[in-house]
Amino acid sequence: MNNRLRVLRAERAWSQQDLAERLEVSRQSVNAIETGRYDPSLPLAFKIADLFGLAIEDIFLNPAKEQDQ
Amino acid sequence: MACGTMNAAQRRYMWRFLPAMGVYSVVIVGSGLASRWWHPEGFGLFALALAPALPLLAAIAAIGLYLVEEKDEYLRSRNAIAAIGGLGILLAFTTVWGFLEEGGVVGRFPLWGAFPLWAAGLGVCQGLVHLRDGSGGEA
Repeated sequence: MNNRLRVLRAERAWSQQDLAERLEVSRQSVNAIETGRYDPSLPLAFKIADLFGLAIEDIFLNPAKEQDQ
Repeated sequence: MACGTMNAAQRRYMWRFLPAMGVYSVVIVGSGLASRWWHPEGFGLFALALAPALPLLAAIAAIGLYLVEEKDEYLRSRNAIAAIGGLGILLAFTTVWGFLEEGGVVGRFPLWGAFPLWAAGLGVCQGLVHLRDGSGGEA
């Protein structure tokens, strides 16, 4: 699933490791989510959204809506 | 499970799995030598024959506990996929071998070989998952 995680992380000058530590996951997890190879569970998606102070749909792009565009 | 710094679940897994395999190495040699020297019968034979299986059961439990205890859902997913892949390889191999054995084409496949075959399949699948996902380096 496409997402804005890399952009949001870059805006805060966080490395993948920094974000991984804040989310209490591995750096590989952050990399896999950023590159769209892994879709996080709903609890992890909420954790990510809370960390950035955004709604889930502001970070993760709805695949159905992407196809419509 | 081997890439980068290990998390708590991975460390617990190593502390369970490696001693189990160490004990297995000792027991498999020891039970073979004991059978040859003492020629046990009855319960002694049963116990000696069963002994090598017990540390392998502990190793299987260590793998299962790791999947239960791993809090990182991505790592858990990767390892669960590899375990299922290993199971698929085991089922495919034993299915083909079973029919060949039934037809008298090949000899008997020792059942104790199921776990090593599954573990080897798991290792292969972990490698394939790693290749599929790339190195996971900072992008």
